[in-house]
Amino acid sequence: MNDLSLEVQAGQVFGILGPNGSGKTTTLGIVLDVVKKNSGAYHWFGNLPSAESRKKIGAILETPVFYPYLSAVDNLKIVALIKGVDESRIDTVLKTVDLHERRLDAFKTYSLGMKQRLAIASALLADPQVMILDEPTNGLDPQGIAEIRQLIIQIARQGKTIILASHLLDEVQKVCSHFAVLKKGKLIYSGSVDEALTGTDTVEVAADDMNRLEETVKQFAHIQSVRPEKQFLRVRLTDNQSSADLNRFLVERGIVVSHLSQRTNSLEQQFLQILAADQSPAASENHSLANQNITTHA
Amino acid sequence: MPRLLAIEWLKLKSYRPFWILMTLYFLVLSLVLSGVMLFFEYLASRGAEFNGIDPSIVPFYDFADIWQNMTYLATFLKIFLGFIVVISITNEYSYKTIRQHIIDGLTRWEFLGSKLLIILAIAVVNTLFVFVLGLILGWIYSPVQGMDVMFEYAGFLLGYFLDVFAFLTFALLVGMLIKRTGFAIVLLALYTLFIEPIGALVLSIEYSEYTFHQYFPIRAINNLIQVPFGKYLFQEVQDYVAFGDIALVVAYVGLFIFFSYRLLKIRDIGG
Repeated sequence: MNDLSLEVQAGQVFGILGPNGSGKTTTLGIVLDVVKKNSGAYHWFGNLPSAESRKKIGAILETPVFYPYLSAVDNLKIVALIKGVDESRIDTVLKTVDLHERRLDAFKTYSLGMKQRLAIASALLADPQVMILDEPTNGLDPQGIAEIRQLIIQIARQGKTIILASHLLDEVQKVCSHFAVLKKGKLIYSGSVDEALTGTDTVEVAADDMNRLEETVKQFAHIQSVRPEKQFLRVRLTDNQSSADLNRFLVERGIVVSHLSQRTNSLEQQFLQILAADQSPAASENHSLANQNITTHA
Repeated sequence: MPRLLAIEWLKLKSYRPFWILMTLYFLVLSLVLSGVMLFFEYLASRGAEFNGIDPSIVPFYDFADIWQNMTYLATFLKIFLGFIVVISITNEYSYKTIRQHIIDGLTRWEFLGSKLLIILAIAVVNTLFVFVLGLILGWIYSPVQGMDVMFEYAGFLLGYFLDVFAFLTFALLVGMLIKRTGFAIVLLALYTLFIEPIGALVLSIEYSEYTFHQYFPIRAINNLIQVPFGKYLFQEVQDYVAFGDIALVVAYVGLFIFFSYRLLKIRDIGG
């Protein structure tokens, strides 16, 4: 990790996006006190980290971790003892993740999807303010992926802060409100998902009279957002409207555009652009854990 | 503290290999400890002699000799308990549950404490087992009975407890250092049975004017209960647990725990 600084606000579903080996798990390992940092600092709930603060966080790193020979209930009893939670919560969380019927079966008999769901149940056990999920859909079949994502969205609706690490753009887009992109331990992008990664097309449009253009564009019915930039307006369209539709509308209102171009805002392209944009050699050489600054306010 | 013990108990109570190994251990321990007289009688029937003494008249189970005899013999089997402790700690690394425990909010001291508590429990149960077995065998074989002789020299049970507890903390350290079950068991056995004894022997010949080879950890632990059988051949034996030996072993226990904690502190956990 190198010079990484992140801040996650309460209530956000924060995605940490990056290819394999970009430092997602390392970052989470550091803030969970299981990976040693060379320098830097992190805070939980505005305080210095401690075992007590970890009890208020529900976290899974990489694969679900349980005693294979123990049942879901016995595994969660151990977690409940560690976190100081009443055992009555176990039934509740097992129902939430739909594992209640299999609660007495040994963990090793579970499918991968069930193991992931148990991991989420375990993270939910203490009814934490913050959940950390690391690649929660890794290795699952499409149905399993859909179930887990639905579960995460459902949990997020309850107002919990979720930090989700993933190498899948699509996942971050479907689940997260904010995200950061890491590459080789370096932060190369951070912002809100709506702004950066919505799949809708944007249209750049310019005319001689920019003010009038903006006023007119705003009257167009199928507009999601209009943002003035240096030499043009960036218009985000909805309802499958294309740049041609917008152009027709403007011509009808007597505006002749001097510039019109459609940007297909594909996720993959965006992601690859973001990664490609950062090619400074210094970043790729530096794997030291320097200047980590991660703050969570919840 | 009950919380930490409860955590360990949950892990072990459904862990079949633990119960199989424990059952085997106590079975073998019972057979070895209770079979001595039968073995001596067998030797006598084959005409064997210990320096001209008929083995079947050795008062192995007589109060109050019985405690030093039994505990001395029992220490030879403690390595199996060591294997159980190694498995219990290396499992935490292979399942990565140690990392999840820390993530869930256990401190490193609490994790180590839970392991030390289960070691303590094993050492206590083991000592009680030998104590009860000693009472039964003494009641069967000893020509002298009565409260006054029964508990004479019972201090060896405390020596035995410390012996086993210290060895198990050593096994814990080896397990944490190696992390892999198979390697850790092999290393523990090799070190305990060969490397240290042979190394100490070589050093004692090489540097015969010094006594430092007496102070290696396994030797120090084994020194707590001295070989009792010489007295039947009219030799002088140490029929008490020496204070100096206790102090040395307690120091070793402190050192093992300190190094175990350092390992947890300085390494990435389960990475």
